[in-house]
Amino acid sequence: MRCRSGRAPHRKRSGRACARRQIITTPSKDIADLIARCALRDRAAFRLLYERTSAKLFGVTLRILKDRSEAEEAIQEVYVKIWQRADRYVAGNTSPISWLVAVARNHALDILRARRPVAEDIDVALELPDGGPSPERAAEDSQARSRIEHCLGTLDPDRAEAVRGAYLDGYSYEELASRFAVPLNTMRTWLRRSLIKLKECLTT
Amino acid sequence: MSMQDDSTGDHEGHSALVAEYVLGLLPAGQHERVGRLIEADAGLRAERDFWVARFAALDGGFEEVPPPAHLYAAIEARAFGGAEGKRVSLWESLALWRGIAAGALAVAVAAVGFNLMQPRFDADQMAVQLVAALQAHEGSGVEFVAVYDQAQGAVRITSLKGAAVPDKDFELWYINGDQPAVSMGVIPVNARLEIPLDAEAKASIGPGTVLAVTLEQTGGSPTGVAQGPIVALGPATAI
Repeated sequence: MRCRSGRAPHRKRSGRACARRQIITTPSKDIADLIARCALRDRAAFRLLYERTSAKLFGVTLRILKDRSEAEEAIQEVYVKIWQRADRYVAGNTSPISWLVAVARNHALDILRARRPVAEDIDVALELPDGGPSPERAAEDSQARSRIEHCLGTLDPDRAEAVRGAYLDGYSYEELASRFAVPLNTMRTWLRRSLIKLKECLTT
Repeated sequence: MSMQDDSTGDHEGHSALVAEYVLGLLPAGQHERVGRLIEADAGLRAERDFWVARFAALDGGFEEVPPPAHLYAAIEARAFGGAEGKRVSLWESLALWRGIAAGALAVAVAAVGFNLMQPRFDADQMAVQLVAALQAHEGSGVEFVAVYDQAQGAVRITSLKGAAVPDKDFELWYINGDQPAVSMGVIPVNARLEIPLDAEAKASIGPGTVLAVTLEQTGGSPTGVAQGPIVALGPATAI
């Protein structure tokens, strides 16, 4: 288990709406412009981008890594990546702040993943279909937000909490199983069924 | 990597697998393999983008925590220390293209800067380069940027905004003054395309030539004359 630190900024549900409001105080167009200028190697833009977004991204690395010095190391790597990969941001696909959060989140998850003992592959068919019905382009942010909340609300509370735990805390199946005191395979079945249900709800 | 997707259950399973990938639940080896499969398949990429966008709506759950002030200097040292020497070709810098389309003169200057940063030993490479920002026309929401490199005799075009239209294709034209538009072929929306020019086009395209994109039937206008509406256009300027 890596939940070893009491300083973990674990946040209960009540804080969510408030934190959400904070991200949109910097208009997303500004952030997109700053990212584009970073791609043009504009160092002043990089500093501004850091000033405006680092609290959010540090919050991401801290919440997932649950260790302050690791999160500090990670946030440095995250911004170096952002500087190097700014030209990969495609406006329109995702909001700029979501893209930045994803860079930070994926980086933190990579760190955790590399550290976990080699697990056996989960027994799923790795053969994947060509194509399949293509989901519609993600809806506008605000709609999407209330939509996912609504759809998580249709799941059993424990299962919705497990999905949130995986997303926000980067919990592995093992960690989720022990937190919810169920066998590993039960947790996998739970989550997969929940994700299928979630997909149905999100697309209808 | 393919298999019959003949049951709904299979498709659901794959969607759940992509969701597990996005959540980061798969063990390291499998995470990488699934990531590669996703990269290689447009349908799975769409599935991934779906989940990324939907889960992003939970980002409000990440509380903001200001990092310690001393970190930024270290980040600058790491970011600006090594990577700066890396040559970025004009063609590879998608963001630069986007910036050019924004129409800012500053960006055009930056483009020249980029060129100067690249070592030039070959006189041919000093040949004319033109850039055209094809801005959306009459609210079409479609924008392209084109770069013409005379030395290579090719126009490279990339879309910046806009989506494909079902059963229609975008077609690129060049126009000199009052002369009729000349087709340069059908162009994709979500990819970059390099169009080699014939001798006539090479001789015709210069500063001031207008590039335009029209919306035509699939495969482009059959008559060689634009039939559909102009959705984007802009003049070529030297950089």
